[in-house]
Amino acid sequence: MKLKILPPHLRNKKRYLAFEVLSERSLNREEVTSMIWGAAGDMYGACGVSRFDLWVVKVWRCNHQGKNIIKGILRCNRSEVDTLRSVFPLINRFKGKRVVFHTLGISGTIKSATEKFIRKDFGR
Amino acid sequence: MGGIIFLFFDFHVTENIRLIEEAERLGFTGLALFKVENTNSNQPHGLEDPIVKEDYSIEIYNGVAIRAKNPEQMKSKVGKFRKEADVILVQGGDQKINRAACEDPRVDIIAQPYRNRRECGINHIMGKKAAENRVAVELNIRYLSKTSSYLRYKVLAYFREILKLKRKYDFPLIITTDARTIFDQHSPQDIIALSRCFGMDRQESLDALSKTPLDIIERNKIRDNIIANGVKLIK
Repeated sequence: MKLKILPPHLRNKKRYLAFEVLSERSLNREEVTSMIWGAAGDMYGACGVSRFDLWVVKVWRCNHQGKNIIKGILRCNRSEVDTLRSVFPLINRFKGKRVVFHTLGISGTIKSATEKFIRKDFGR
Repeated sequence: MGGIIFLFFDFHVTENIRLIEEAERLGFTGLALFKVENTNSNQPHGLEDPIVKEDYSIEIYNGVAIRAKNPEQMKSKVGKFRKEADVILVQGGDQKINRAACEDPRVDIIAQPYRNRRECGINHIMGKKAAENRVAVELNIRYLSKTSSYLRYKVLAYFREILKLKRKYDFPLIITTDARTIFDQHSPQDIIALSRCFGMDRQESLDALSKTPLDIIERNKIRDNIIANGVKLIK
């Protein structure tokens, strides 16, 4: 028997948030993920982060002119976008080296987030 | 955003070409640049200007950061640099200097009144005076983000305390990044999102990033023509 999937009106409403990371040393996917989870947990605790419905969907490495740049897409709950955004300015160090997160934009689907915010300035 | 374009300013940035380019990319309209201060010298920091303003599409203002040991020294330094500088910022932290800066209409910004203190550094008297003299109180993002764990909770509590006084006495607030490297800079929208953490609503944070700096620039244009409080010279 085929299992029924959750009807659309009961599913969590999602937003996709494109971000970029500038850093002094090169980072990999796990490090970026743990930094976001760690900072979110520091700021809002387990109770707050559970509401975010946070997931790192995909990251790309786009080093440019000797700078370490990583771009990526996060998934989060529609109503918590601003709260999640406020975590970014508080991440400033990773293993003694400086890093900084910027939001590039918010979108409703992975496809449009990639096209609008990631691909647009790939050749920057 | 209701179709209105907001102009965002960052009024506490160390003078560096890379910081200007990064701010341009992040969407700022104007910056006030400060030289790294040498505490022993009396030179007007940030005034000898190797950066050509016309090279950049954003507005650049000359800032002077004043670090003084006592109120008298602060007053004399303010008097000395007022004519040349666009923005005068007094480094707070000491109770007496905080008070003196709030009472001086020539000062534009009182920076970090909570620095190395166990309370927010602004009380009801300073709040009233700052509102009279239109001295903006700075909320420093770098000071917040460089702290960790319990110190960060304290800094957020100081910001809340200042915000409470602001709602009562209505002195101007200003949010700055105090960037020294490009890793300290954040986009205006991220800063607005962060300011929700210490209880600012959207309008208040827009005012702090946009309206207060515009007021400071506006007041500096007419400052030469003002004879006394409320009396203006019309040519």
